[in-house]
Amino acid sequence: MNHLPQAWGRPRDDVYGAYDHSHFQTQLPNQHTQSPIVTGTSVVAAKFKDGVVIAADNLASYGSLARFTDVKRLRKFNDEVVVGFGGDVSDMQYLDRLLNSLDIRENYSNNENPLHAKNLHTYLAKVMYKRRSDFDPLWNHLLVTGLDGEKKPFLASVDLLGTTFSSPTLATGFGAHLAQPILRRTIPDEDAVANVSQEEAVKLVQECMKVLFYRDARSMDKYSIAVITTSGVELKQDEKLENQSWAFAERIRGYGTQVN
Amino acid sequence: MFRNNYDNDSITFSPQGRIFQVEYAQEAVKQGSVVVGVVSKTHAVLAAIKRNAEDLSSYQKKIIPIDSHYGIALAGLASDARVLSNFMKQQSLSSRLTYDRAIPISEITMRIADRAQANTQQYGKRPYGVGLLIAGVDQKGPHLFEFQPSGVTQEMIACGIGARSQMARTYLERHLDGFEGASREELIKHALRALKESLSQDKELTVDNTSVGVGGIGENFTLYEGQDVAGWLDATFENKEDAGEGEGQGEGGEAMETDS
Amino acid sequence: MTSIGTGYDLSNSVFSPDGRNFQVEYAVKAVENGGTAIGIRCKDGVVLALEKLVTSKLQKPDANKRISTVDRNIGIVSSGLLPDGRHFVSRARDEAASWRSLYKAPIPTSALANRMGSYAQAYTLYSSVRPFGVTAIIGGWDSEAELPVDGQVGSGPKVGAGGKKEDGKHGGPFLYMIEPSGLYWGYYGAATGKGRQVAKSELEKLNLSEGGLSLEEGVKEAARIIHVAHDDNKDKEFELEMTWISSLDGPTKGRHEEVPKELREEAERLAKKSLEPEDDDEEEEKMQE
Repeated sequence: MNHLPQAWGRPRDDVYGAYDHSHFQTQLPNQHTQSPIVTGTSVVAAKFKDGVVIAADNLASYGSLARFTDVKRLRKFNDEVVVGFGGDVSDMQYLDRLLNSLDIRENYSNNENPLHAKNLHTYLAKVMYKRRSDFDPLWNHLLVTGLDGEKKPFLASVDLLGTTFSSPTLATGFGAHLAQPILRRTIPDEDAVANVSQEEAVKLVQECMKVLFYRDARSMDKYSIAVITTSGVELKQDEKLENQSWAFAERIRGYGTQVN
Repeated sequence: MFRNNYDNDSITFSPQGRIFQVEYAQEAVKQGSVVVGVVSKTHAVLAAIKRNAEDLSSYQKKIIPIDSHYGIALAGLASDARVLSNFMKQQSLSSRLTYDRAIPISEITMRIADRAQANTQQYGKRPYGVGLLIAGVDQKGPHLFEFQPSGVTQEMIACGIGARSQMARTYLERHLDGFEGASREELIKHALRALKESLSQDKELTVDNTSVGVGGIGENFTLYEGQDVAGWLDATFENKEDAGEGEGQGEGGEAMETDS
Repeated sequence: MTSIGTGYDLSNSVFSPDGRNFQVEYAVKAVENGGTAIGIRCKDGVVLALEKLVTSKLQKPDANKRISTVDRNIGIVSSGLLPDGRHFVSRARDEAASWRSLYKAPIPTSALANRMGSYAQAYTLYSSVRPFGVTAIIGGWDSEAELPVDGQVGSGPKVGAGGKKEDGKHGGPFLYMIEPSGLYWGYYGAATGKGRQVAKSELEKLNLSEGGLSLEEGVKEAARIIHVAHDDNKDKEFELEMTWISSLDGPTKGRHEEVPKELREEAERLAKKSLEPEDDDEEEEKMQE
């Protein structure tokens, strides 16, 4: 006889026959993605008076392992849109192919009025929201940068839940905590954008990338940066952080050999 | 045997490579009352004659606004046009929802054309018995497309379809050079004059039987009927007396709200 | 035509006692009335050209494009029933997209021709459909360079395990023509539609199999052939539509695009000029008479 507590109070097998276990649910509910696997870290972007600048480093981490060091996380869609991807790299590749097929289809009908950044942001928001509603999210946080229908600078984000957000400066992941305050010092609001030149904006974003490399353990010093203006997209994918200064490190716990 | 064996369905070629069922469907278009369309550099105009089954019945709709940027005019089976227009409305909304973009006129035209083609290549279906003029403004400016039951579509500068539409087309061909630079009002006048050419002797354009649809750059596609077209009729034909006769007491159309 | 009245020509997919499918033959008739379409396979690209008959003055000039792109590197021009042509292209695009989703790379032109041949053939098999009333010319340039896999965001190792192998020649220009029966062949120069006989004999004069013709020359020849094949007596007006696909280092960088307006107009000017001397001679003869 089974003396274990879970058998107490059950019908006796010798009277009622063996318990029919098929009434119990034996399977767990279906599960889709619960966490990202290979990931990219922050994406940083800022508007300036005639365009947008966006940057992301070239690292794809596998947990805490710096697994791939030449992963390009900025994707040029056309001459006025660049999408930056944070989060799962294979989901990014899926989205890349999705955008590719969209671009091919767009080419079929109208070459003269391509999808602009706002169109693409709306589209990606629908894709992300659909997937989260299917409980199978694409584990990314995207920044869509470029020009809108009026050729004005455009910058907005979509995350894995399909949440959209727009601001003159944006950063995903760690950057939301570390880069955003730095960006806001120069560009606090939409009005400030008009006073920022391309050079200033690029320098600002580069500064953010440097700070992120200092403090984000899942980052690296090689990065991609793109500038989108009415004259097109200038995308550089093999940049290196210049003039690093690690002098601050020795005063901080955890950086050097000291442990206390 | 004189009977034509090749005209029983839309999936049989005649020895000359014709498909009679499709050609018969084109005839249905010619049974419908006439509609014309004209485009300038800035505007797209549709004009139509409405028919009523009997004096006390209402008039058949001839111009259907689809989205805020375009509409259609129909000649032929109105119920087929309703099916197509519902489809067009869905597609137009879906474009605005997924891309935040007004669907390009050429794109929506192609979509109904592809549907129409499918009806000519599969057993158990019949071709649509309606011709459409699709007019409006998208990112590339004003457009006018002609759609035929065969699935043939063409972009036109001006066009007329329906009963006795040849006369309208002759008028349009004669004035072809004037359309591009025409003002909004001039374009509407041209459309109304072309419409009148196709009318039989005993008929007149009145506020009751005339529909005008106008779309333009920075102007939503709008349907004008009843007293809203009285001013144009007066200005175009100076036919106040004629128009008035049909209505009993009609002097100075615009002031007479009792007319309709 | 002996087929008429026998009853074997009233339904698709039915053989006549002498082994013919009349509905397919009738579909070919629909093609024979269409404007002339040609394709030329040059050494560094492919040209497609179409004689677009203008049926009404009210048509918007230079609009109503009829040579379509499939994926980025393939073009299709067809002659026959216009809506059938669009259906054909639409299927070709679906095939190209499904190929990409499976293989993460663009479809080779030969594979597309094969699939579209099968698709057209399927429309001769059943009594519930009719064959395509088009003959389609498919031209493409398969990349000669090794392309990254779709979605690739980095590069693998240069050497060793997972490293790449150099050499091996691939890609180049390709041209196929698919008939309503589903039959298709590869071509150096292909022609269909009304003026195909004239066009074919002109294409043969180009000795395309020797591979000497450049893309730029091909464009000019294509324009000339369409003008030669055009029947002034029967059809008055036509527009010339031309597209091309060059090698990656050529003018279109391996993409299927419309031939630029200036180049097309230049080609048309030369085409008309090459036709003129004959007219002059005739006039002179008349004068002498």
